[in-house]
Amino acid sequence: MADPVQAPGVYAGVANVIAALMLLLEFGMLRQALIRDQIRLYAAQSALISVLAIVIAADRGLPDLYALAGLSAALKVVAVPLVVRRLLGRTGRDEAPGVAGSYTLGVANTVLGSIGLAALGFFCFAALGINSPVAPETALAIAGGMVLVAFGLMIVRRDVASQAIGFFSLENAISLAALVVAAGLPLILETAFLFDLLVAVVVFGMLIRAHHAREESLSTADLTRLRG
Amino acid sequence: MSAALPIPVIQLLQVLTVAVAAPGVTGVIARMEARLQGRAGPRVAQPYYDLAKLFRKEALAPEGASWFFLAAPVVAVAAYLTVPLLIPVLTTYGLPLGYMGDILGGGFMLSLASFVVATAALETGSPYAQLGASRAKTFSAITEPVVLFVVFTVALLTGTDLPYALAATVRSSAGQIVRPAHLLASAALFMVILAETGRIPVETHGGTNEFGMIDEARPFEHSGPYFALLTWGGELKQLILYTILINVFVSPWGLASTQQVGAVLLAIVALVAKATVVGAVVAVIDNSFAKLRLFKITEFVAGAFLLAVLGVFTLYLGGG
Repeated sequence: MADPVQAPGVYAGVANVIAALMLLLEFGMLRQALIRDQIRLYAAQSALISVLAIVIAADRGLPDLYALAGLSAALKVVAVPLVVRRLLGRTGRDEAPGVAGSYTLGVANTVLGSIGLAALGFFCFAALGINSPVAPETALAIAGGMVLVAFGLMIVRRDVASQAIGFFSLENAISLAALVVAAGLPLILETAFLFDLLVAVVVFGMLIRAHHAREESLSTADLTRLRG
Repeated sequence: MSAALPIPVIQLLQVLTVAVAAPGVTGVIARMEARLQGRAGPRVAQPYYDLAKLFRKEALAPEGASWFFLAAPVVAVAAYLTVPLLIPVLTTYGLPLGYMGDILGGGFMLSLASFVVATAALETGSPYAQLGASRAKTFSAITEPVVLFVVFTVALLTGTDLPYALAATVRSSAGQIVRPAHLLASAALFMVILAETGRIPVETHGGTNEFGMIDEARPFEHSGPYFALLTWGGELKQLILYTILINVFVSPWGLASTQQVGAVLLAIVALVAKATVVGAVVAVIDNSFAKLRLFKITEFVAGAFLLAVLGVFTLYLGGG
């Protein structure tokens, strides 16, 4: 038998578990049928990344990260889910909030395909061999897997709302990677990155409203037909 | 209390503990579920009374069923009683017969039992029993890869596939507990246990006749002592799976590390107490979720598969 894989230690273990949980929530979003639950999962995922920032801040003595964690929690756990839910509420109460029919593939195929994507992301990022002084590299590899799964989510779902959530969670994955690689960045720069999300929210908000106004549904399935 | 027990006695006690405590654990779960639903519920010892009653009753076999129909319950219980020899039930140190088989060996014994029960159900010609057998085999085709991946995780974590080694690894440091591979594998195993013991997201455990039945439908045609053996076998399987979850993965503490009488007795009490805690969690899950549609069960098990696969992935990166 091969030598047993050594345990990475408590701090790295906790960081990796939080990263793995974020990836699991990404998978949860992928197969969640109700948009409201998808938003809840997104909020949970955002809460986890704040927790990770706090863990890193506490263990590595980076007080900047406390502020970042607070800011990111206020923005991603509270503000963005609220805004998205209000937007969807405005698109009409009579429309069912479910987006269950928006899969282009079956749920099982989607999950299996995404496991493949996650594996690709995992091993590609691990092969880069980026070492960070603050966070374990496994977390970076998981972030790579998450980016691809979030892309997959945007591709297999045929409704604007899920695609928006997929994009926001993609930003979570990038934040995770950023935390791992560059936790020591100046606070102002990290905050600026965080506010990029607001632009995305505005753009997707516009998209959801414009699309709903034209098509009277959130589905993008109708857009494939050519019109003269 | 300082007398030391001979090793064969401890080995026998492992089997006896599981054999005797299994119906009690089922009784505790049934009682707790009833209390959570606001009912008085059956007494905890009810499964023992049920077994005693069934053992006194006459046994009938359907016309045309062969000897296999009657042999299956005996083989199944024998297989279930072999597994406690292979896993750490009471001790932290490996007992001589514990090296007969690894964690996969235990899995094979459980599969053998499930196979003979399903085959006996097919012998009867009864639609319900056949339906149960067919479904049980269909879903175990998905749960078994999960178990395999959990075993791979164990093998990568410890460099062996002995359950004793993993329990020792988990006890060794806090870093071993919080590593993602361990947590993911434990969660996947717990989901498989819910599926294998016929608990709520997969199956209602009330014993009512309905179309969603899987495990509950298989012993439909057995009666008397044979039905008692199958019921007891189901309870044994449940406690064995709980023991694997508890003593190998989640909390391998409280096991006897010496041969002292006191330590072994304490280990028996600890095992029953921990199994009761797992049973309480299962009872809460039973009461808080709805049963999945039959075709959604694959999604539930696919979730467990996802957890197990991610566990192996994180290990391969060296950081799990």
